Amino acid sequence: MTTKALDPITLDIMWGRMIATVNEQAAALMRSSFTSIVRDAGDLSACVFDRRGRMVAQAVTGSPGHINSMATGMAHIVEEFPIDSLRPGDVIITNDPWITVSQLHDITIATPVFHKGRAVALFANCCHALDIGGRGLSADARSIFEEGLFLPIMKLHEAGEPVQPIYKMIEKNVRTPEEVIGDIHAQIIANEVGARQLRSFLEEFDLDDIEAVSEAIIERSEGAMRRALADLPDGRHEFGLTLDGFRSPIEICCAVRIAGEEIIVDYSGTSPTVELGINVGFNYTVAYTTYGVKCAIAPEVPNNAGSFLPIRTVAPQGCILNAQPPAAVAGRHTVGHFLPSAIMGALSGILPDKVMAPGADSLWNTHIAGHDARDGAYFSYTWFSTGGTGALRGQDGLSATSYPSGVAGVPAEIIEALTPLVVRQRSLRPDSGGAGENRGGLGQIMEIEVRTERPYLFSGLYERCAHPAPGLDGGQAGATGAVETSNGETVEPKISRMLPPDTVVTLHIPGGGGFGDPAKRSGEAIREDIADGYVTPEGARDDYGSGAG
Amino acid sequence: MRIGADIGGTFTDIVLVNDEDGSLRLGKVLTTPARPDDAVIAGLQEVVDGAAEQVEHLVHGTTLITNALIERKGALTALITTKGFRDAVEIGREHRYDMYDLRLRRPEQIARRRHRFEIAERTLSDGSIRQAPDQAEIRAVAARLRDLGIEAVAVCLINSYLNPTHERQVGEVLRRELPGLPITLSSDIAPEIREFERSSTALCNVYVKKIAEQYLGRLEARTQEALHADARLFVMQSNGGLLTAGQAVEAPIRLVESGPAAGALAAAHYGAGLGLEDVLSFDMGGTTAKACLIVDGEPLLAPEFEVDRQYQFKKGSGLPVKVPVIEMIEIGTGGGSIARIDSLGRLKVGPQSAGSVPGPVCYGAGGHQPTVTDADLLLGYLNPDFFLGGDMTLDRASAEAAVAGKIGEPLGLGVLDAAWGIHQLANESMASAARIHAIERGREISRFPMFAFGGAGPVHAYGVARILQLPRIVYPFAAGVMSAIGFLTAPLAFDFVRSHPVRMESADWSSVNALLAEMEDEGRARLAEAISEARIGFRRTADMRYRKQGFDISVPMPEGPLGPESVPVIVAAFERVYEQLYGHTIPDTPIDIMSWRVLASGPKPDLKLPEGAASHGDARKGARRIHLPGEGLVGVPVYDRYLLAAGERLEGPAIVEERESTVVINGPGEIRVDDHRNLIVDLEAIR
Repeated sequence: MTTKALDPITLDIMWGRMIATVNEQAAALMRSSFTSIVRDAGDLSACVFDRRGRMVAQAVTGSPGHINSMATGMAHIVEEFPIDSLRPGDVIITNDPWITVSQLHDITIATPVFHKGRAVALFANCCHALDIGGRGLSADARSIFEEGLFLPIMKLHEAGEPVQPIYKMIEKNVRTPEEVIGDIHAQIIANEVGARQLRSFLEEFDLDDIEAVSEAIIERSEGAMRRALADLPDGRHEFGLTLDGFRSPIEICCAVRIAGEEIIVDYSGTSPTVELGINVGFNYTVAYTTYGVKCAIAPEVPNNAGSFLPIRTVAPQGCILNAQPPAAVAGRHTVGHFLPSAIMGALSGILPDKVMAPGADSLWNTHIAGHDARDGAYFSYTWFSTGGTGALRGQDGLSATSYPSGVAGVPAEIIEALTPLVVRQRSLRPDSGGAGENRGGLGQIMEIEVRTERPYLFSGLYERCAHPAPGLDGGQAGATGAVETSNGETVEPKISRMLPPDTVVTLHIPGGGGFGDPAKRSGEAIREDIADGYVTPEGARDDYGSGAG
Repeated sequence: MRIGADIGGTFTDIVLVNDEDGSLRLGKVLTTPARPDDAVIAGLQEVVDGAAEQVEHLVHGTTLITNALIERKGALTALITTKGFRDAVEIGREHRYDMYDLRLRRPEQIARRRHRFEIAERTLSDGSIRQAPDQAEIRAVAARLRDLGIEAVAVCLINSYLNPTHERQVGEVLRRELPGLPITLSSDIAPEIREFERSSTALCNVYVKKIAEQYLGRLEARTQEALHADARLFVMQSNGGLLTAGQAVEAPIRLVESGPAAGALAAAHYGAGLGLEDVLSFDMGGTTAKACLIVDGEPLLAPEFEVDRQYQFKKGSGLPVKVPVIEMIEIGTGGGSIARIDSLGRLKVGPQSAGSVPGPVCYGAGGHQPTVTDADLLLGYLNPDFFLGGDMTLDRASAEAAVAGKIGEPLGLGVLDAAWGIHQLANESMASAARIHAIERGREISRFPMFAFGGAGPVHAYGVARILQLPRIVYPFAAGVMSAIGFLTAPLAFDFVRSHPVRMESADWSSVNALLAEMEDEGRARLAEAISEARIGFRRTADMRYRKQGFDISVPMPEGPLGPESVPVIVAAFERVYEQLYGHTIPDTPIDIMSWRVLASGPKPDLKLPEGAASHGDARKGARRIHLPGEGLVGVPVYDRYLLAAGERLEGPAIVEERESTVVINGPGEIRVDDHRNLIVDLEAIR
């Protein structure tokens, strides 16, 4: 069957079926995962690729970093294992950060699908492993070699047989082998669920492969993205964001150029790679760049290889957005999550009704490990917390909501049930939303105690402690973040350390930037904010002047 | 005699069943939205016809609770929680339910931040107490609530799912200080882990308590007035069981979505009557389609539901409510769903709907967007002169202009091809939703016969069933009043849950047995209000998982006292369910039981299906040209459903017209009329 033979309705039906297969794949993965980050936080992606390794459809779940990096990563996998060299029952594994999701914790599992004796597609999914050895999920490492187990692109199963040495190697290199291996099993099963559906789809429509469908999907998506870009005036727009970084601030320089049907996002001028693990592999830079562009310009265009084509990303080698091996990258999201905001800042002049002001942007990752006071057992736990999102024209930012990452938080009761941690507080942080005609979303305050008798490892990856989320169009910046302890111990936002057992740590997570001149905010909105305590009376006076309240 | 009453958006359906001869009497009156009980009473008087004294009870399902939540018509509600957690209910799950929509919104809070109060107290994650609440502090909060004119209060303290002591203490003080104020403790309504979901459930429950009390109280009084003083009012719950009106008032949140649940119950009942244990219930109406899997004669249940979704069909965009519900997947495809071309030139059907006003273009009421119904009309599936039994005439010319102009021309398709595209895509989205649902539940959809009802269900069932390769379709008689009939098949039932985490290898079985006995006793006591003890049955299940997995699965538990010897039986049951859901088990991994559940229920009423009468005339009304896939317009016979006699056999393609819907068989298939006048289409031969 050729593309020409596909009438528009048949294509729509087939397209729907392709999306259904990946949604089924994601549902299977989410329900059988061992790790709360996957299951409760939805930190996963599930996609189907054609024979050339082009992403045809993705599940409507997950986070853009995963999905979009996997989309580009598959090309490397089919380069290593040409599609026709694969056999039924093969399963491929990798966590190569330079070609997939830019972090050793993110394990990709890819499975070829066979139909009529020929490989016709690949299902792949990626999720965040609870542990990968090394220094854990921290930015402490000075090179990738310290960050844990590196799994190059390998066959984890060969023609249906598990390659036991790989399993054994993983088992002996991670702190929580049960969960890590369990999740790998869940990932394999999820691909099989997708594959089964795809095969029955091919049979029903009497197709030999998905090439014609894939071609049509990609072509149409590319066309739609090009049309959306063509509607924008040509021009070059710049925006700069300053991040805390490690010893010195990091400047993200973002120049967005719209030229006809294309958009080029150029990060030239951005600060160089740092010695800490917050460097970003280029794949991940591309992932968040395409995501940011799509959010602002064409949110309705489906995410696949076609919609990426008109978007070009440029980042000079060696800058923090195009780190080279052996740079440390475990905390790459700490920097990568800011890219959509940089792009929106640049586009705010031409798309003021579409963009969102910068917010906390980067998830706050906390990793704690130690020994339970009750039975002395070792524990290790990581979770993500969110700050406020930026405001939009006509709409306040959302408080304690993830953006750009799609992950969800974990309930305090779940944290307490699985670990000896006691969550003493989890509340919104008054006055942390940037003032503006529309206010930024509030950050949150989280207070953590560990029930332990021995010193414990505390490892945070926190941004915007020194440099707040700026507002747009006259809006003010959100509040910066801070980490406090009950006993004067110092916790640096990106360095892990052992803390005495009685240390209670309090996280003050940043708020989002405001949009528009605060003087234009309605008196009623300010009064309501004060009545609900989102803004204190003093805060309102400072931000909105004497006319407030 | 018993009566079922279902309040729909337009009509209130009343069914009276005479259990002696199985005869049904049906009534339909216009719904009275301002006072829904008016229509119920009017309909009741219509069907009772002098037999008031013989009616034992009225079974009722209501959308009042759902509507009060969506329209935010409930009480001024406060929340009391543990110090440090005032905002847990607002922080929620911290995620975005749509990845690309920067302007997404969260549902409005039931208790605004200014009405959320903290008290210093703490229970730890093993149920132990770190800090007891201070009575004076609770009293001070009570005084604040009084000053603020708070009308209802929910209490949700951290880890109360393990140990409800503090919540009960707070509840006692509040009851003393604020007598008459509706109070809901989270440990009573939903004793399950996850503070956000638990507080959300408690808040939603208490928010609508007053409304439920007033409405159900009034309806019960009026029912007794219309029937007799001993007539009882039972209310349908979302889990498919009935509550007495008094019990419903305590836990009104259990009444959400009970109407659609009743449709699934009716499907299960009809299915059982036909010897079908597994059934796919398919209900397609004007704005949405709902599908439900019935397995071993029972609709599948889910432990959670969402109300007030910001995006109607998007998980995570609403307020979570932890009550057992008949698991229904709902998608935005109905007769009124609008077809459009998106920015990629793709044809899309729904979820936007023209509703009933203005409705599809062919209604001639001002609609100008082509809908599924317009497409069905152009394809010949609907009879323009016999819509709603001829009460309404459909305007074919305007439907044609809209489908041609808005869909056909942009896609370069003729009007019939465009209409066929709309019909097919509607079928595709319903089929894939049903398939995903089956996969999530580890079931093979192609084993399930379909049971089709709702205004548009019989029009689309054949197409959907063909996509899913189902073996058979059943088109029940009296499809227009399925929910009301479903009410009459429901047993009285009460379910209980207790969070009591247990490691399989080291369980303290005596405490487990005590817990189960406690729940069974409570069930017995509650049901004893209406049924004799001997007729009460119990079903135990446990929420289990592999250690450190976050999703529980519901596993049936053996009867009688449990002990170490039960472990292999329980493990085997767990593995069976796990394998069913995920296709594999995980060897050498310890298993935990998180919560224990008991469903106490009375006997299922034995509702007889009405017997078919002998034919009283030629059922064949004529013929009409309809679209057949791959063939185009072809003349097929049209039958009058009401004249088809039991035992008759027809061949597809064919059209069977009835008042509320049209059965469209637009392909081959053997059709037979069974003893209860159900139409059964066999697709086995053409799968």
